[in-house]
Amino acid sequence: MSFEKFFTKYLHEPDCHTLDFYKKNYQGYQGARKALHEWEPDALIDEVKASNLRGRGGAGFPTGVKWGFVPKKTDKPKYLAINADESEPGTFKDRVIMEKNPHQLLEGIIINSWAVGIHDAYIYIRGEYVFATRRLERAIEEAYQDGILGEKTLGKDFRLDVTVHRGAGAYICGEETGMLTSLEGERGLPKLKPPFPAVEGLWHCPTVVQNVETVANLPLILEIGSAAYKQIGPEASPGPKLYCVSGHVERPGTIEAPMGVNLLTLINEHCGGVWKGRKLKAVIPGGSSAHVLHARECDVAMDIESLAAAGTMLGSAGVIVMDDQTCMVNALLNIMRFYHHESCGQCTPCREGTGWLEKIVHRIAYGHGQLEDLALIDSVCDRMVGKTICVLADAAAFPAWSFIEKFRDEFVHCIEHGGSPEVKKRHPKRVGGGLRV
Amino acid sequence: MSDPQASDPQKVVHWLLDGKPVENPAGMTIYEAARSHDVEIPNFCYHPGLTIAGNCRICMVETNRSKKPVISCSERISEGLEVQTQSEMAVTSRNSVMEFQLINHPLDCPVCDKAGECVLQDHSFSHGPDRSRFVEDKNIRHTKELGPTIDIWGNRCIVCTRCVRFCDEISGSSELCVVERGDRSVVDIFPGVPIDNPLAGNVVDICPVGALISNDFKFEARIWNMKKTDSLCGGCARGCNVEVQSLDGFVKRLVPRENPQVNQWWICDEGRYDYRYLLANDRVTECSLDGTTVDDRTAHETLASWLGESGLGKAGGTLGILVDPYLTCEEAFLVGEIAAKLPGTILGGWRSADGLAQSFPGHFTISGEKSPNRLGVEAVLGREVFGSEGAALRAALAGGEVATLLVFAGFPHPDLDDSWTSAVASAPRRAVFALRSGPTTEGAALVLPGSSPFEKEGTWVNEDGFLQRVRSYIAPGATEWGHDLQRLQAVMRGAGLRSKSLSPAAIFRELSESKTPFAGLSHTALPPHGAPLPGFSRVAVGSEGNAG
Repeated sequence: MSFEKFFTKYLHEPDCHTLDFYKKNYQGYQGARKALHEWEPDALIDEVKASNLRGRGGAGFPTGVKWGFVPKKTDKPKYLAINADESEPGTFKDRVIMEKNPHQLLEGIIINSWAVGIHDAYIYIRGEYVFATRRLERAIEEAYQDGILGEKTLGKDFRLDVTVHRGAGAYICGEETGMLTSLEGERGLPKLKPPFPAVEGLWHCPTVVQNVETVANLPLILEIGSAAYKQIGPEASPGPKLYCVSGHVERPGTIEAPMGVNLLTLINEHCGGVWKGRKLKAVIPGGSSAHVLHARECDVAMDIESLAAAGTMLGSAGVIVMDDQTCMVNALLNIMRFYHHESCGQCTPCREGTGWLEKIVHRIAYGHGQLEDLALIDSVCDRMVGKTICVLADAAAFPAWSFIEKFRDEFVHCIEHGGSPEVKKRHPKRVGGGLRV
Repeated sequence: MSDPQASDPQKVVHWLLDGKPVENPAGMTIYEAARSHDVEIPNFCYHPGLTIAGNCRICMVETNRSKKPVISCSERISEGLEVQTQSEMAVTSRNSVMEFQLINHPLDCPVCDKAGECVLQDHSFSHGPDRSRFVEDKNIRHTKELGPTIDIWGNRCIVCTRCVRFCDEISGSSELCVVERGDRSVVDIFPGVPIDNPLAGNVVDICPVGALISNDFKFEARIWNMKKTDSLCGGCARGCNVEVQSLDGFVKRLVPRENPQVNQWWICDEGRYDYRYLLANDRVTECSLDGTTVDDRTAHETLASWLGESGLGKAGGTLGILVDPYLTCEEAFLVGEIAAKLPGTILGGWRSADGLAQSFPGHFTISGEKSPNRLGVEAVLGREVFGSEGAALRAALAGGEVATLLVFAGFPHPDLDDSWTSAVASAPRRAVFALRSGPTTEGAALVLPGSSPFEKEGTWVNEDGFLQRVRSYIAPGATEWGHDLQRLQAVMRGAGLRSKSLSPAAIFRELSESKTPFAGLSHTALPPHGAPLPGFSRVAVGSEGNAG
């Protein structure tokens, strides 16, 4: 298996983020130059469609198809909004690109903008990514000085301006329309769809919203062509992929591997296996919103179709590994607390449901649960899924559903034995004391 | 991909509503279209006057276009769409939203001012589960003052954002916002910027629950005990449609009624809170003759005898009648009749100075003209009644030509200029229909209590030439002399000018027979939203002096 790393090949080089390094070692901006000077926008969209590039942000939407939705004839300006908010728990892949290889992102932005006819691109970056912001801003400065960006992009009569906008730390601003509202200067609330951003996005203008990693793939497609690109990984969702492995492994980190790498290979070969010689208990394969996988389900290829067939999703490829000493009730409580905290509060089912779920799981973990609570959680989740503007409600319900489905015995044990063992160890005085209902 | 927003209202869309084939113009939302077929879908965040937020989720219905339920307030109808409002999916969706809405709601209806007109109560009754499965502690949110007139009970808030959108879109002042996230989120103001705009009171009306509470009405009355009268606000020439809500004969609050041509769904705070003068200390409540209280009969007989002896060549000398723009068209008609039957009578009008005209981003306007029925009085008594005829009467008063002066001073806030008050005071014998005592009633030989705008029965014409009904919140018969119209007729009977007293509707019938603009109109045939008075539309009358 010959896989040449694309994103992380020179990660260890101290000046890998500079323009000179990028030009020298990556044939930097050759892809963008080729796109601007040799490709007609429509043909470029077809080429990206042919490459089967799928969005890396979570939904896995075909990128070329998304570009096709943008109206060709419009009086309004078109925008590109790069989603660099990366707020899904367990995800840290875009950060690597922006810190170590920001020019790859900028080159992708040029290609994307040329294909869709965009003159203004925004990068909405997570507020906590101070270092990445600095690197990115420096890279943009370099690009302007070198004539890569600006009035004449790479010598072509095509204006392109790139602006970096820092978020303020809300999970919901990583949802594409929530990000757009935040970028507009409003409270980051997701918008009603339709109209979809491709038709009516930023300031009611057609907007392409792309994940950092998706766009960073574009130079590679231009370099090797869609046919060769499709050879990397499975044909339906090909390409190099950054996997963020965290949790109970020996060597956690961002791993570059082709799409469709086996999950166990990822854990055992790339990350040195489960830590301290313990056994694997569960893996969340795609950020905390994905359905959890039981250890026995983990022999699965990490691509969009295979994981969907396994009843979960690739999502943002935030792989969270849990060893056999993890209390699943406590783990779920942690996830529920997150969604309760981060629900924007716009739609009723999510606003009230996330808080309710946390309260129920909290009750179970602290020894006040009842067996009926498991059915109640199931019902509350059922009443949240698919009934809200964005999918945060679904994201909160999926882990709750899957944790209880796959580790039901642990929940029952907690209910019958006065709480989670992990909570008991940490807060012995706050656990138990009979039913508090 | 066809553009779902493309809508041609000319095009008719055929769709199925609960299995029944129906049709509507293209571009309508499912909610609006269903309503046009008398299928009511519940809502919290939807308001016809505001943009669609789609956040309450209770209007979800099942369609054949989506596996998930869709919100009917934002989803538009299209050819071949099948909508189920009573299917299991639709019913459980509504049911679940109601359960979610109530888990952190305090359910303090017994002490909540909204109880009785609360949308949450209504929907809980019709669509909600009969008990909650929520056993945890409820969240606590702030209860505080948002502005001089408005408080928030945060625990009751369901974050529908109607109030936030109102301040953004209609008043344009954007004082309100939602703070915090998730189930902690609640409506609030920015620090140090209270909600204090001329339309602020409307946020209380559009709040579907009791979160926003008007200080003015707080703990004043239970909704279901109050008597509700459809009337008009007399604060300016806009003629906003209001509902006067009263308890035991005391007005408790005014709330707007919807009228798309006049005030949409709103009224201004100036009009909303301006009913305290009804109980003002200087309100004239009894008839008085030369400073001593007399009964109504004596007062009416006195005035009748004065009228009887007035006129050309009669002992009493010339009669002057000074009308105010608060008279209803019917009252003005009677006044016109007196003037016509007593030759030589000098008739003129007075009105208060124009105030500040205001218009708002949501197309709501407050008229600069503070007279509610100037156009109506002009339509009955002539275009110049407040202009050259008024000036002529003032000159006649100054010249001592007028022996007896009949004054209508129904001004809730008399702010008339001194030249008028001194002219009125110069009349040798003066009878005044006065709402409040003041310079006009001082030294008057005869003072009769005038009725306030909320105590009148009849019609007014607003600044746009819209004829609308004004009704008294006091039941007819509650007092013998309910309003000026009855007093006037009693006086006219005494003076031999009329043979019997008639109802306002009957007088309007006479009016419609004799005055061209009113031809063909009647109280009963008047649409609920009023009708334009021919020849008195805004354009024909010209500048109202409030181009703002």
